[in-house]
Amino acid sequence: MSEAVRLRIEHAGKRFPAANGKETIAVEDVTLDVTQGEFLVLVGPSGCGKTTVLTMLAGLQLATSGQVLFDDRPITAPGPERGVMFQDYALFPWCTVWGNIEFGLRHGPAGAGMNTEARAQRVRHYIELVGLTGSEEKYPHQLSGGMRQRVALARLMANEPAVLLMDEPLAALDAQTRLILQDELLRIWGQDRPASERRTVVFITHAIDEAVFLADRIAVMTTHPGRIKALIDVPLPRPRDDRTRALPEFQALTQQIWNLIRDEAYRATVT
Amino acid sequence: MTRGVPRWVIGLMLPIALLLLWQAWGSAANNVRMPLPTKVAAAAVQMVADGELPRAILQSVTRVFAGFMVAALLAIPLGLAMGHSRAIERNVDPLVESFRPIAAIAILPLAILWFGTGTSAAIFIVAYAAFFPLVVNTIAGTKRINPSLLQAAATMGIPRFTTIRTVLVPAALPSIGVGLRIAMGVAWTAIVAAELAVGAKAGGGGSGGVGQMMFVFYAYSIELNRIIVCMIAVGLVAFTLDRLLRGALRLAMPWSVR
Repeated sequence: MSEAVRLRIEHAGKRFPAANGKETIAVEDVTLDVTQGEFLVLVGPSGCGKTTVLTMLAGLQLATSGQVLFDDRPITAPGPERGVMFQDYALFPWCTVWGNIEFGLRHGPAGAGMNTEARAQRVRHYIELVGLTGSEEKYPHQLSGGMRQRVALARLMANEPAVLLMDEPLAALDAQTRLILQDELLRIWGQDRPASERRTVVFITHAIDEAVFLADRIAVMTTHPGRIKALIDVPLPRPRDDRTRALPEFQALTQQIWNLIRDEAYRATVT
Repeated sequence: MTRGVPRWVIGLMLPIALLLLWQAWGSAANNVRMPLPTKVAAAAVQMVADGELPRAILQSVTRVFAGFMVAALLAIPLGLAMGHSRAIERNVDPLVESFRPIAAIAILPLAILWFGTGTSAAIFIVAYAAFFPLVVNTIAGTKRINPSLLQAAATMGIPRFTTIRTVLVPAALPSIGVGLRIAMGVAWTAIVAAELAVGAKAGGGGSGGVGQMMFVFYAYSIELNRIIVCMIAVGLVAFTLDRLLRGALRLAMPWSVR
């Protein structure tokens, strides 16, 4: 890969003081580079620290050891160049669908230099993209879980950040919508374009087939403590579409990753 | 049995029954001092017709609004600051909490000494009374914000002050609304009490308001029927103010579920 490294995690760890005076280790000794235009997916059982890694990249939590860098500078705070889609969507209940998607453009640097018309055009574009046309004036509490997720996705996209950090962004969708939005996500990410013109994505999912379909590379994580167990290249050709899912390589990769996390996933389910 | 009868008719049945009972019992008691519904009604018509009651009510309502505004301008920003910043809360909370149990009426002597027996003393009392429910509810609302909303704003690069205006304030608004309604009720009780007490201090010739009017009926002309008219007027005005405030809050919060 010839592209520059955009996100670099070097021996990073995160410990929390626990109630009993000991420490909880959320993640330990995580080392990972994400290059410009790469689509990196984190998979692993619950409690493996996927979300911790993502929030460290976002700058919402800081590593307690090692370093986390964006374009070779330490990440010390959140910034608009690293957009986040939150697990609970974090939609503003007092804003309509339109207001939520427009929020960053209107109040933040993402909309700097844009006039009202340019903003409206951008918002309308992403509303259409995620299929929310006709719901612009609704409030989040009037929407289904799947629709809220699309609002969150559109809000993230509308800011057009260089790096997209997404925590299970498609988890609440029904199976069909999920497949459609996987395709859309790859299109928005820029799978038809060269890597230099793509966004850089770090994406968390529980769904292994989703990980294989989307990723350039998959980081498989493990629990107690959270670390990266394996980094797996996904050499499936791009652009990917429905035919990709039918490829024998697709099936083989899905199986390979499942084998890596099966034991822990079973243990997590049984206990 | 009650099917087909409108709800408001059912709602009126108990008050009417009580009024009838009052009238019957009062007539039987045969005492000139005994207020009766019919006499109260007659007094009400007269007091409204000669403009005396509306003038007094308007006077009191104006004071309530003025004091209420002062309280809101101080308490809401302070509550937001205290709810948002642990450091500010730690410093200011002991002061707020040690004044809170002191009833508004208990600071009346100070108010009269500082501001005299006129409108400014009344506004001071109202502002003091309305301040505490407002500040407490604003703090609670600010603290109850879903932290990921602030994180979302931070990851979008929204500047700090803009975040306060566009995230913190709307998130706290439902609680601030509750605080406003409680404060309005408290303000109204405080103004009547304050005017009663100021009336006692200033004698007959004070600066008006419905509370002072009640004091005059009590201490000088001894007209119980008129005092009851005042009580009813106070209740009706408070009810109307609360409904107006609720309506305004609903308009201000179209997203709120209720």
